[in-house]
Amino acid sequence: MTMDGTLAGHLQELRRGTVVVASLTVLRTPGYGYSLLETLSAAGFEVEANTLYPLLRRLEAQGLLTSSWNTDEARPRKFYRTTEYGDSIVAALRSEWTRLDRAVSDLDTPGSTP
Amino acid sequence: MTSLIDRYVYTALRRVPEQQRTDIDRELRASIDDAVDARVENGEPRDTAIEQTLLELGDPDVLADRYADRRQVLIGPDLFPVWRRLLLLLLSVVLPIVVGVVVVVTILDEGAFGAVIGAAISSALTTAVHMAFWTTAVFAVLERTGVARSSLRTAWTPADLPKYEPGSQTAAQLAASVVWPVLLIVVLVLQQFTFTDEPVLDPANWSFWWPFLIVVLVLECVYAVWVFRRGAWSHTVTLVNAGLAVLFWGPVIWLLASHNFFNPEFIAGLDWGTADPLGWLTTVCVIVAVASAVYDVVEVAVKADRSRRGIPARLAGTGIK
Repeated sequence: MTMDGTLAGHLQELRRGTVVVASLTVLRTPGYGYSLLETLSAAGFEVEANTLYPLLRRLEAQGLLTSSWNTDEARPRKFYRTTEYGDSIVAALRSEWTRLDRAVSDLDTPGSTP
Repeated sequence: MTSLIDRYVYTALRRVPEQQRTDIDRELRASIDDAVDARVENGEPRDTAIEQTLLELGDPDVLADRYADRRQVLIGPDLFPVWRRLLLLLLSVVLPIVVGVVVVVTILDEGAFGAVIGAAISSALTTAVHMAFWTTAVFAVLERTGVARSSLRTAWTPADLPKYEPGSQTAAQLAASVVWPVLLIVVLVLQQFTFTDEPVLDPANWSFWWPFLIVVLVLECVYAVWVFRRGAWSHTVTLVNAGLAVLFWGPVIWLLASHNFFNPEFIAGLDWGTADPLGWLTTVCVIVAVASAVYDVVEVAVKADRSRRGIPARLAGTGIK
């Protein structure tokens, strides 16, 4: 495997799960599939439509998102919103993320670990 | 006329559970239309925009699998070790037994050399394919239903580790190596009176060879106890074992080869059609006898050598999991 291939593999491992954190964070303001896809890719998350759309339904089934059809406009769209439960989950995930980031930084700083 | 988008959505929904179809249909179409509109706003022609959008969504079968949250593996990592262990057990233990039984039945039934070889090969192939297929099929179903997953995977503990001890024997091995000669003695004596109308083995040999073999078998028992109490394999053990093997298998092979092993009356009573029973039984028994003798001598020699070099051997009956 080339260096690029190795890096790509590890990056994929590291990024797995970040889309969930990002989606639950963004959807505290209600949004639909394509709008979320745009927001995420504008924010630098490499996520594919065929991963994101099924993921939204899965998060809804887990009770982290709730959905309702908005038929006010010409094109009816399914809007998702993060539930309270989803909020508490994403809070936990983000505090874990911060902890890991701090832990890695500590390891990187010589002499800071006992 | 169905559009490209219709064809894509139909293809994807075909493999999505019925009750979710209507909802996914609406949502997927809206998402595709949103993406197409965004591309058109950027100046792409509508046809190209549709094609590019669908290309980005990718294989509709993959999308359907993700919507249905379907497992994309036949047997996952949870069940794989159990599957492999079971299949190895079936192929290495049960398969030889099945083939052995088929061969014996064919020998008794037809007795032609070609028929026996053919039966062995075809039964081995068919049985192996069936074992592999059905084991895999059952595990694939378990993988999908997830019923027995937690119960199948018993937690591993250090107690499951096999034991390795240089050159010692378990009580079970001792029992096996004592029971085997005793069983042979019993069979040798009983065949004279029961099993068949005429004794299978030549009664003339009761004058010397059958009693001689019984004595050798008793010595085998004594040898087994001696090795057990000695607690270690060595070159002396190899020599004694080889000596006993020669004392036992030598006369057996010689009697077989000189056609003095089977009772002529018993052979005369066999009707195997065109096949010659004496020739057949002699060939098969000589092959079995030579193979057993060689295996017996080599097995102990290898054990003794490993023990001399201090290589621990895995103790039989430990660490089956």
